[in-house]
Amino acid sequence: MAYLAQLGAVTDELIAAIVPLTKTEQAKLNSYHESALRNLKYAHHFPRANQFEVEDHLNGLEERFRVVGRDALADAFKKRLDALEPHRNRWTPDILHFILELSDQPAQKSQLSD
Amino acid sequence: MPSDERSEKQAAAQQAVDILHEISTILNCHLDRRTLSICISMIENGVNPEALATVVKELRKEGQEVQMQKLEAARRR
Repeated sequence: MAYLAQLGAVTDELIAAIVPLTKTEQAKLNSYHESALRNLKYAHHFPRANQFEVEDHLNGLEERFRVVGRDALADAFKKRLDALEPHRNRWTPDILHFILELSDQPAQKSQLSD
Repeated sequence: MPSDERSEKQAAAQQAVDILHEISTILNCHLDRRTLSICISMIENGVNPEALATVVKELRKEGQEVQMQKLEAARRR
């Protein structure tokens, strides 16, 4: 019960960070909250991220950056992955898996200036 | 926990979030630091990363619709 209350609170934070709703739009907020919470609550049945698959995916991306001639992007990516090493914990593969899920054609669209 | 040790751990955690945010920027994830921090905290509390990514994508769609409706309403005024 405490877990669900905590998940509910943090889900509201997530909604507030992504959807620009005012307090007067409470009905919409409630609907987003219910829908997001429903998806997150039942996700425990899914297996956790496979760290080897995540590693392969990351290495593949670095290689792809080099293949398409984006060596500076590949170097910046490798540098961050190396910097992450000392900070790794049991959740790191899951967090990287989440980031990979949201990745949007980085070889074509990413700008180093960002 | 002594306060020095606690602040060292907090600094290390902040640094990890900074690096993860840079990785997400390189991978063009369209995540700001605040949203990423919330998502990291959710994953560290056992939320499935794939389900969370789906929720973020759905919320973005809703967010775009809300923006469009607001723009449309402003134009009508």
